[in-house]
Amino acid sequence: MSEAMGDFTFCTVQYDSGDWDSAPLVPANLIDSVARYTSISVTPTGVTVPLGSSQLFKYPLAYLTGHLPVRFSELERRNLREYCDRGGMLFVDDHNHDIDGVFHKSATEELGRAIAPLKELPNSHALFSSFFTFDDGPPATTHELNGWGDNLVHKHLLAVLHGDRISVLYSSKDYSSEWGYHPDNKRFLSVDNTKFGVNIVVYALTR
Amino acid sequence: MTILERVERARRALRTAVMAAAALRGLAAALALLLFAATLDAFVSLPTGARRLVPVVAAAVAVAIFARRVRRYGMRADARSAALWIESRFPSLRYALVTAVDPRYAGHVPELERQAAQVEFEPAVQTASRRAVRTPALAVAVFAGVLLLLPSGAVARVVAPSPGDALSRARLGARANPLEAVVARVTPPAYAALRGESFDNPASVRALVGSAITIEGRTGDGDVTATLAEQNSTSTSAGDRWRVTLVMPAAPAAVRLRAASHERLLVLEPVLDSAPVVLLTLPARDSILRKATGKIRLAATATDDYGLASGGFELIVSSGNGENFTFKTHTIGAATFASRAGELATTLSLDSLALQPGDMIHLRAVARDRNNVTGPGVGASDTRTLRIARADEYDSVDVDPAPPPEAEKNALSQRMLLMLAQALEAKRAKISHAVLVGESRSIALDQTRLRKRVGEIVFTRLGEDTGEEGNALEKRLDQPVSIDSVLAAADRAASAATGTALEGDRDETPLIATNKPLLIAYNAMWSASSELEIGEPGKAIPWMKKALDALQRARSAERIYLRGKTRAVVVDIDRVRLQGKDKGTPSARVARPMADPSRLKRVARFDAALLLIKSAPSAAVDSLLILRLDLIDRDVAAAKALETAANALRGGRDAHAATEALIRARRALATEPAAAAALSAWSTSP
Repeated sequence: MSEAMGDFTFCTVQYDSGDWDSAPLVPANLIDSVARYTSISVTPTGVTVPLGSSQLFKYPLAYLTGHLPVRFSELERRNLREYCDRGGMLFVDDHNHDIDGVFHKSATEELGRAIAPLKELPNSHALFSSFFTFDDGPPATTHELNGWGDNLVHKHLLAVLHGDRISVLYSSKDYSSEWGYHPDNKRFLSVDNTKFGVNIVVYALTR
Repeated sequence: MTILERVERARRALRTAVMAAAALRGLAAALALLLFAATLDAFVSLPTGARRLVPVVAAAVAVAIFARRVRRYGMRADARSAALWIESRFPSLRYALVTAVDPRYAGHVPELERQAAQVEFEPAVQTASRRAVRTPALAVAVFAGVLLLLPSGAVARVVAPSPGDALSRARLGARANPLEAVVARVTPPAYAALRGESFDNPASVRALVGSAITIEGRTGDGDVTATLAEQNSTSTSAGDRWRVTLVMPAAPAAVRLRAASHERLLVLEPVLDSAPVVLLTLPARDSILRKATGKIRLAATATDDYGLASGGFELIVSSGNGENFTFKTHTIGAATFASRAGELATTLSLDSLALQPGDMIHLRAVARDRNNVTGPGVGASDTRTLRIARADEYDSVDVDPAPPPEAEKNALSQRMLLMLAQALEAKRAKISHAVLVGESRSIALDQTRLRKRVGEIVFTRLGEDTGEEGNALEKRLDQPVSIDSVLAAADRAASAATGTALEGDRDETPLIATNKPLLIAYNAMWSASSELEIGEPGKAIPWMKKALDALQRARSAERIYLRGKTRAVVVDIDRVRLQGKDKGTPSARVARPMADPSRLKRVARFDAALLLIKSAPSAAVDSLLILRLDLIDRDVAAAKALETAANALRGGRDAHAATEALIRARRALATEPAAAAALSAWSTSP
C-alpha cells in the first residue's frame, strides 16, 4: 500500500555477517520523528531488506548497524555498489561507538572496498541543515559524553560522496544506542535526540 | 496674712479636692468594672484572654476619668479663678476680692483689701472640698466592699488571671458535678529543671514522662476516682477541693475520672526525653595506619534536650585473624557535664594499646543524660574504625569504587600512554634531551605498571597463585614470558582439571584464545617500556601499538552478544500527528479505595461521635478523645484537630466555632476528595 502511494519506508539492511538487527527500535523511532516533524507520507513500520536483494532499490535510504565484524559477500558488495550508483543512500552506524572496535575496522574496510574510502564530512555540509539546523555538525550522543566505548567525542561523520551527494554516511557516534528506545518514551526527553535522524531522511529524499 | 495669700491657700485646697475627687472617681469606675467582670465570670466562664484584658481596661478607664476631671476642673486654676469661685458664693464682696488679687491693683488699694478681709470664706472652701470627694469616696468604698465580699479566687481570676485558676471561679448554686471543672497541674521531674504548669479543663495533658500530674476539682456529688491503665486512684479532699495525683506514663493513655454518675476523660500525652546527640568530630573518617605509633586527637560534641550528665570515648580493640579474635574495651576522656551541651576531647596514645598489624580500633563517643526517672538516656556517635595495615597489603589499601573490567581499563590506559608517547615524539625536536628522557621515563613507569596489571590478569587466569606465594608471580612479571610455554602449561593444567579438553575454535581452547592476545600485549609492553626507559619514545610506539591491538583482540574475544528477535513496533502516524480519532474507550470511573483503609474506621468512629452530640454531649467529647488517643502517634494533625474539636464541644459556648472545629477534624481524618482524571495522562490505550 505504502509503496504504491509513494510513502517513505524506513529500510534496515540485513547482511549475512554480524548482528544487523542490534538496534530494532531505531526504525520505529525515526518513523515517529519523521511523522512528528514533517509532512512526509511515511509507512508506520519499517522493512528489513537483505543487502544482496534487488528489493533494496525500492528504498532511497537504507540503515545498517551492528557490533560484530562485517564481511560482505560478493553479491552484497555488488548490490550495494549498484544501490549507491542508482542514487540510494546508505546510513551506517557503529553500534560499538569504538574506533578500535571490530565493527568500525571491518565496516570501513568493506565500504572502502565496495564503494570508496570514507572521508570526513564537513560540518557545514547540507546534511546538517536539510531540515533542522545543526551548526556544530553531528549532535553528540550521551554515550560519547559519558565516555563509553572509545572515550572520544567524534567531531565529524564520515561519508562517501557521489558528486555532491552523500551515497554512504558513516557514523561512529553510536546513534543506534542513542535512538534505540520505544518512540512512546520520547515524551520523557526534554529535547528530542532523534532530530538529526529527520535530517538524514529528508536529505536522502531530496538529494 | 494678706488677702492674696488667703485666696492662694483657698485655691490650693480646692485644687487638691478636685484631684482627689477625680482619682476617686477613676478608682470607682475601675472597681465597678472589675466587679462587673467578676460577676459576669461567675455566670459565664470568661476565657483567659478576656480576663487578662479586664485589669488593663479598668486601669485605662480609671486614668481616662482622672485625666478628664483634672483637665476640666482645676489644673489651670489660678488665684483670680479662685477669687471668682469665692465671689460667686459671697455676692456681698461685689468683686472687691477679684480686684484685690488682680496683679495690677494688689497692695495698691487698701480699701478693697480691707473690704475683702472682712469676709471669712475659708469654711466655705473646706465644705466644698469635703463635698467634692464624699460621693466618689463612697462609691469606692461600696465597690471595694462588694469585691471583698466575693470569694478571693473569683476576684483574682479577673485581677490576675493565670492558668489553673478555673477552680477559683465563683460557684453559683448547690454542690453539683465535681468533674464539671478540673485543673491539671504538672510538676516535671527535678532533673529536667522545668517549671510547673497548670491547665484549665484540659482535654489532654502533655508533659515529660515521669511528671507528677495532679488533677484538682471542686467537691460535689460523690468521691472522685481516677482510672489509669486499669489502676484506680481515689482522690483526697481538702476544703472544697478534691485532688488526685498520677504519674505521666511512657505511652499515651486516657485517665477516666468518675464521680457518682459523672464521668470525664483526660488524655495523658507523654513527652519522651531524647537520648543525647553525640557527634564525633575527630577523627573525621576511618583510616588505615601504617604504624601503630603516635597520638591521635579525639573530639566530640554532645547535646541533650534536658541536660547532660557525663560522657567519654569508648574503644574496642580487636586483634587476631581467621577465627581467633580477641576484643578489649577501653574508656578514655571521661567528663561530667552540668548543661545541655558539652564537648569531649582527649588524646589517644596508640603506643599504649600495643597494637599489632591487622588490629582494628573501633572508636565512638558516648554521652549520658540526667534522666533519673526513665533513663539515663545514652547517646553514641558514629563509630570510626582505625586499622593497622599488614605489610603485605600496602598496595591494596586503596579501592576504586565500581572499577571498570580490567581488560577494558587496560585498553583505555594503553591508548592514553600511546597518545602521550606520540605527543612526546612529536615535540622531540623542541625540547632538551634531559626533558625528553625524563618524560619518557615517566611514561615508562606507567607502562610498566600497566604491564604488571595485565600480567596479574593473565597469570591469575592461568592458575598462578597470587596469594601467599606471590613471589613467583613477582619474578615472572619482571621479565618477558615465553607465550607458548605458558599457554601450554595452562592448557595442560585445565585439561587435567576437567578431564577433557575444552571446546574451542580450531585447535585452541577458549583459555588460550582468551589469554594469548594478553600475553602478546604483555610482551609488547615490556619492549615498549624498555625503549621508553632509555628515552626512545619513537621506538616504543610500534610496541605500544602492538600492545594496543592485542588488547583489542582480547576484548573482542571476551565479548558475548545475545541474539533474539524483538517485537516490531508499528508507529501510529495519525496519533503522532495529532490527526487521528480516539478509538479507545476511556476506563470506567470507579471509586478508588482509600490508600489507608484504617481511615475509614476512624471516620466511622468520628461520625458515631457526632451522632451523640445532641443526646449525650459529654459522651461525644469522650469518644473524640478516645479517638484522639488512638491517633496521637500515627496522625498528629488529626489528633490535634480532634483535641480542638473536643475542647470546643466541651466549652459549649460557641456553636459555630465548635462546628468549624468538627469540620476541620473530619477533614484531617479523611483525606480531602480529589477528582480523578477521566483519562490517564500517558497511556496509549485505556
